[in-house]
Amino acid sequence: MTTTLTAPRTRWRGTDVFTQVLVLTQRSLRTLVSDPRMIVFSVLQPLVMLTLFSQIFASIANTPGFPTGVSYIDFLMPAILVNTAIQSALQAGVGLVTDMKNGVLARFRSLPIRVGSVLVARSLSDLVRTAAQLVLMMLFAIVIFGFSPAGGVGGVLAALALSLAVGWGLGWVFLAIASWLRNAELMQTVGFLAMFPLMFASSAYVPVGALPGWLQAVANVNPLTYAVDAARALCLAHPVTGVVSALTISAALGLVGWVFAVRGFRRPL
Amino acid sequence: MNDLMIKASDVGKAFGDRQALDGVSIAVPRGTVLGLLGHNGAGKTTLVNVLTTMLPPDRGTAEVAGFDVVREAHQVRSRIGLTGQFAAVDEGLSGLDNLVLIARLLGASTREARARAAELLELFDLVDAAKRPSRTYSGGMRRRLDLAASLVGHPEVIFLDEPTTGLDPAARLGLWEVVERLVTDGTTVLLTTQYLDEADRLADSITVLAQGRVVATGTSAELKAQVGQRSVTVTLADRSDLPKAQEALERAGLHPVPAADTLTAPVTSSRELAVVVRALDEVGLEATELALGEPTLDDVYLTLAAHAA
Repeated sequence: MTTTLTAPRTRWRGTDVFTQVLVLTQRSLRTLVSDPRMIVFSVLQPLVMLTLFSQIFASIANTPGFPTGVSYIDFLMPAILVNTAIQSALQAGVGLVTDMKNGVLARFRSLPIRVGSVLVARSLSDLVRTAAQLVLMMLFAIVIFGFSPAGGVGGVLAALALSLAVGWGLGWVFLAIASWLRNAELMQTVGFLAMFPLMFASSAYVPVGALPGWLQAVANVNPLTYAVDAARALCLAHPVTGVVSALTISAALGLVGWVFAVRGFRRPL
Repeated sequence: MNDLMIKASDVGKAFGDRQALDGVSIAVPRGTVLGLLGHNGAGKTTLVNVLTTMLPPDRGTAEVAGFDVVREAHQVRSRIGLTGQFAAVDEGLSGLDNLVLIARLLGASTREARARAAELLELFDLVDAAKRPSRTYSGGMRRRLDLAASLVGHPEVIFLDEPTTGLDPAARLGLWEVVERLVTDGTTVLLTTQYLDEADRLADSITVLAQGRVVATGTSAELKAQVGQRSVTVTLADRSDLPKAQEALERAGLHPVPAADTLTAPVTSSRELAVVVRALDEVGLEATELALGEPTLDDVYLTLAAHAA
């Protein structure tokens, strides 16, 4: 044989951060495309919620305190978008833990690439995945449930972008948790325990005014209320108030998540 | 000219209050194979992790390919290859895509990356499976892909951490041949193993680690001479007699080491079997089983423990 195993013709000495992120993002997306069941299954849960809630709570639209002239599906859908983005953020953490477990990250660590590149790539590919999920959910809602809010296409797309931003910020929190816990089951449990009550103790499914007093207090300080209110205002063409708060909170979460994720990730496997 | 490709001086690393590495120094000249021999927990993997920049040492310094593993980690990483105990491949990607990914991350263009991947797939007999997701690969194929992945960047130094653990004999032999070719190409190899025969076959020099310390260094021949040729294992009918038997053997000038219900003592020749029998007879004990063993890693430990005592 003429080829040598190691003797170099050219020696590669590593590459710039941009290429690292690009190549690593492509890698995660390729895994996603090779197994699209992940996307399909990940929209099942929000779809079930959408179906159940739109039927069970439909009569809430006739109660006092509910915005007049708004159908429940138009009220509900923005919350479902935010919820889907949040579930998806949790999956970002789970994905990172999976990479740690199957040894791919150990390989990356022995290569001349930056820790941050691996995390940014993970986060970017999850952003793409979340966008795909949100669009899919939106189509379901429009075609099957007759979602057609007053905000029109522009409002809906703005709400979608906002949900994406919220999910992205929160995704960094879960990446941080993942790089410290390093355990998928624990991640799922922590995520579920944190997010499930927060989702209900917010303006997501019923107007805050319809909640019991103590829950109203929780809902009013719950960051998810800001996100849901903002997404809803965009969809329903209501005066938009919460967008800046929602984006600020997400950016803050993202920043804190980034700092802890990089620190946690640097620790030896 | 200083041509040491791996140089570690007094490297220490503790996990909590367990001292995983306690002042380890090694030196590996270019184009040679160092066999790092030791049981589980001896510190082999920790040392590999320090040398491959994955784990910063608590004390001491280490250089690989002339670069400091802490301050110049980036330079070290572009010159080494690592194959760990578990195949570190992306199961969602095909074998081809796995290798292209590594090459791209090392700085190859897409074209160069594809060419290098094709070359390695050929060499490791993975051409037919190149486009299948690696999650469908058998254990042996995965390990081959993993090894191929560690060679993508034409590394100057390769770390093989128990590369043959869990491989069948044929695959083990295949891997040995690959290592021999690497050395022919001028690559420096650090190989950790629990098997004396593996180190014997591949390594130019062997370092024995126990409890985070270097307990012996030398060529295979030198170590064997130090180990003694054989050891005798004594099994007694009643295990409560073990302390008595141990005393008797010690009086006879041997260095027995007790296990659960046996005593093992290194011997220099088979004639010492008679010494054992006589010593036991003097205290009125009889062995139900007397076994003469060829030198193993255990014997290296036993001997070294006896020397230390």
